[in-house]
Amino acid sequence: MIAMAKIFDEADEILLLNQDTEDKAREIIGDRGNHFLKRIEGETAANISACYQCHRCTNACPVSHYMDVKPHQVIRYIQFGWREKLLKSSTIWVCLSCEMCTTFCPNEVQVAETIIHLRNMAAHSSVAPREKQVALFHQAFLESLQYFGRVNEFWLMVALHLKPIVLKEKIQTGTLTEEMALGFRLFRKGKLKLIPRRCKAMGEIRKLYRQERGEMD
Amino acid sequence: MKLAFYPGCSLEGMANDYSQSITAVFRNLDIELVEIEDWSCCGATAAHSLSELMAVTLPARNLAQAEKMGMDIVSPCANCYNRLRASQIMIQKRIFDVPWKITGKIEVHDMTRFLADPDMLERIMTRVRKPLEGLKVVCYYGCQMVRPPRITGYTDYENPQTLDRIVAAVGAKALDWSYKTTCCGASIGIGRRDIQESLTARLLDKARQANAEAVVTSCPLCQANLDILQRNETESTIPVFYFTELLRLAFEPGRASRKWFRMHITDPVPLLRIKELLR
Repeated sequence: MIAMAKIFDEADEILLLNQDTEDKAREIIGDRGNHFLKRIEGETAANISACYQCHRCTNACPVSHYMDVKPHQVIRYIQFGWREKLLKSSTIWVCLSCEMCTTFCPNEVQVAETIIHLRNMAAHSSVAPREKQVALFHQAFLESLQYFGRVNEFWLMVALHLKPIVLKEKIQTGTLTEEMALGFRLFRKGKLKLIPRRCKAMGEIRKLYRQERGEMD
Repeated sequence: MKLAFYPGCSLEGMANDYSQSITAVFRNLDIELVEIEDWSCCGATAAHSLSELMAVTLPARNLAQAEKMGMDIVSPCANCYNRLRASQIMIQKRIFDVPWKITGKIEVHDMTRFLADPDMLERIMTRVRKPLEGLKVVCYYGCQMVRPPRITGYTDYENPQTLDRIVAAVGAKALDWSYKTTCCGASIGIGRRDIQESLTARLLDKARQANAEAVVTSCPLCQANLDILQRNETESTIPVFYFTELLRLAFEPGRASRKWFRMHITDPVPLLRIKELLR
């Protein structure tokens, strides 16, 4: 058993070089039993135990090239209970939820839904997202939705670029001017509306946000 | 015939041309679209990513509004359609509670499949005044409209035909290609432009290889991605049409549609002039 664990340990080191020593102790198979596996299966209703590692999901995935943990590995890691590794991975943020993996899985393991569920878990955990920009975009989207009830592309992009991390990176990489030029071009084409349309029933939408935060009325 | 229309946020902004062409086409087809009263955003990918509860409850409000109106919903946007359907299924399974009454008695239609119905195709064919002969296009469906099949109900999800049939009904030639449902990168371009551009560029390459003169799509985000990627190119650009723009061009030759084409980054007018579809 320990020999097996070592093999997986080594294989894993090749995959993820930056590992904390604390994590290493947890990588041994079965240190949490199947608690994490059962939990994910229960919450997503995905049949994760049925995976026989045929790699069809990874082969179908259009962005597997950009992922550090490939889709079939995600399923395997869940079976092992490697929660931190999954939440820290870029995979959960890079996934486009294009549903190729789910559609072509021979055992109907809902791979995309599982990855999205892990993204939900990561968003509600203290683990810093590997793809900060993507995570902040989703956050900005929900924030602007809270004010208008609908999303206006112009205000969404303004809200996103006002986030210090995003602004800093865009200035450093020099993409800010390019993006502003594109924005201006879209505006001239009449594609950007500067005045947002609001949904009138904002009370109902804010109520949903309160429900999401677990606040009772 | 009356339908509840759920436009979605894109159609108020980036896809304004799509919105206007839909209005025009449905007027030509004598189908009344009634906008869902005070609709709100479906949450799109963001709600889906950050909280499952929000992903189900945000679209549910629109379902409830449409049930009040007692009409089936038709959605032009692929992602809105997918989210509305997913929400309806989750609520019917009683996995989430929503503060509105939803019985699930109304149907959510995706606009392309609604128009690709044999009766509708016949109606489209009778309205054609100038067939788009000689125009070779590839139809691009994207992901959210066809997948996952258990939500969208597509049976031919590997090689969908709805857009192909509609385009063929107005006389254009829909070419066969293998990238109909390959993802264009969606909104990842905002955080990781490299990923989105590589995916979109591959689609355009494959469209060129298939000898297509234009791409036809029904998803606002796919259109934006495919169109904006060609912003700095001057030669061999491929115009990206919404399918309703082509329908309108066939129904009312040479009128009105010009102002929608002006909203495209890749100018489709030269191509249409060559084909003598536009003066």
